[in-house]
Amino acid sequence: MSASTLRLLAGLCAAAALGGCGVGPGNSPSGGVGLTVTRDFGGRPLVERRRAKVAGADTVMRVLQRNAKVGTRFGGDFVQSIDGVAGGHEAGRPVDWFIYVNGSQTEKGASAIDVHGGDRLWWDHHDWGVTPEIPAVVGSFPEPFLHGTEGKRLPVRVECEDPRAGACDVVAKKLIALGVPAGRSTISHSAADNTVRVLVGPWSQLRGGDAESGAIDNGPRASGVFARFDASAAHLDLLDPRGRVARTLGAGAGLIAATREKDRQPVWFVTGTDDAGVASAAQAFGEATLHDRFALAVSQGLAMSVPIQEAGGP
Amino acid sequence: MSAPASPLRAARAPVAAAYACALVTAVLAFEHPLVLLALGAAILGAGVLAGCGRSLARSALFGVPFALTIALVNPLVAREGLDVVLRLGELGPFGQLDVTRESLVFGAVLGLRALLVVLAGGALLAATVDFDELLQRFRRISVRSALTAALAVRLVPVLGRDARRLADARRCRPDAGPRPNAAERLQIVRAVATGAMDRALDVAATLEVRGYATPAAAGGARRLPEPWSRHDLGFAASAIALLVLAAGARLAGVASFQAYPTTQAAFDAQAWLLSGALVLTALLPFADRRGVQR
Repeated sequence: MSASTLRLLAGLCAAAALGGCGVGPGNSPSGGVGLTVTRDFGGRPLVERRRAKVAGADTVMRVLQRNAKVGTRFGGDFVQSIDGVAGGHEAGRPVDWFIYVNGSQTEKGASAIDVHGGDRLWWDHHDWGVTPEIPAVVGSFPEPFLHGTEGKRLPVRVECEDPRAGACDVVAKKLIALGVPAGRSTISHSAADNTVRVLVGPWSQLRGGDAESGAIDNGPRASGVFARFDASAAHLDLLDPRGRVARTLGAGAGLIAATREKDRQPVWFVTGTDDAGVASAAQAFGEATLHDRFALAVSQGLAMSVPIQEAGGP
Repeated sequence: MSAPASPLRAARAPVAAAYACALVTAVLAFEHPLVLLALGAAILGAGVLAGCGRSLARSALFGVPFALTIALVNPLVAREGLDVVLRLGELGPFGQLDVTRESLVFGAVLGLRALLVVLAGGALLAATVDFDELLQRFRRISVRSALTAALAVRLVPVLGRDARRLADARRCRPDAGPRPNAAERLQIVRAVATGAMDRALDVAATLEVRGYATPAAAGGARRLPEPWSRHDLGFAASAIALLVLAAGARLAGVASFQAYPTTQAAFDAQAWLLSGALVLTALLPFADRRGVQR
């Protein structure tokens, strides 16, 4: 075998290795992978694994299949049923399974996404009659702040009118306590960087500053957030899964929600109708309160999952 | 070359066809490797005992590459299975490609099924069933459909011969230059005319063989029913038993097989019993060779 052939073979092997090729299952991700399976926008938990079974370089689909009974379609690319709960129609409404990895809805099929150490996988079966796209959720907290996306940690910045103000300080300190090196700044309305931003302040200060806040004002079809403020930002409408106003909150109401524009990182909002509402939201900013919620509204010490379930919702 | 006598050839055509179709149905009913291997043994045994082992071997020349293609393609297109044996990385629009043990196993199962369908539904059926007789009997049910099928079956070789003759005629023509001479023109005319007359003769022969020339065809008069021979009864019973076994086993969950996410096949006593029963049921009618020798 000539030297040039050997060089070519070595080059091909190196390219294959760099391209993620190899024999065997590959290396398991270091650190656990969390798996949550719920129904009705997180309202009804079905499976909860703090450390799901993972083997080798698993995909999101394989992790699910190792930990639950799964029916697939389209050649195994998409989930049809989990533990007997299937997509289709319920009470005339379209329902299906959706996957959120570290709080972000994925654009690829579950069999095309690798899992990484620390990832939190959340499958939810819900009504998508209003919108099939809910680009970001808050229920996987402390993700994406702790492990980022696709195995890469992301810079985190807490933005407020006054970075030293109470609510801003509370949020930033909670992130730092989790080991997240969160920076602080005034509201930058920046969309160019690869930073996960947490905007803290009354909605009257946050609205209109960037595409994400504009999307929330435009309703769930645009943002995936089933809540919106009125024109004066003094009232907060909480919507049900069909997009109808289920409850309206006034003074002292807070909201924690996230959304994401295409090809950008999520933007979180810790906001409210007034300073008291923002302070309530900042106090609720934590794993225990946000767990399994798409968004969270707080009023008079009461935490409510958003969208509001029609009956018996938490 | 006359076909060797065998109990299957001695059975009437619809029964022989039903027997082959029952084998195909049984193959399609199962994914369990043990049962498929048993059915493969039954099909090969039936082919050999029916004297069409060479036909089966010729079909295998086509069927084996076909089966291998299926077995190789499945792991590349299936996204299922938990035990990764080969990671091929991101392949453009196909996304991430992982070859799993389960997709390899199921690919092999699909390939084996395809091979058995080719052998049972193609080679065994074609080699043991008299299609003239089959179509003649089918004529009683639907004259027009039988006529269409008879003409189509007969005209395929005729069209093949036509094509060869036209190719010969074309070779007689110069690529460029002067018009063909008288001898070459005569060759072309002869080829075309012979083809047309041959076709007409074949159509007429086909109609006559199928009985369309007799007054009974137009009037719908019925012949006296022929009594069923022991071979008719044997292979009909075998076909029915194969179908009952297949349906019963499926309903009872015997020889269950799960391809994904992990391969699960029950190699228990029931699976072995079913496999043995299928082989026995398929080959038992060949044991009676009385009245076969011609």
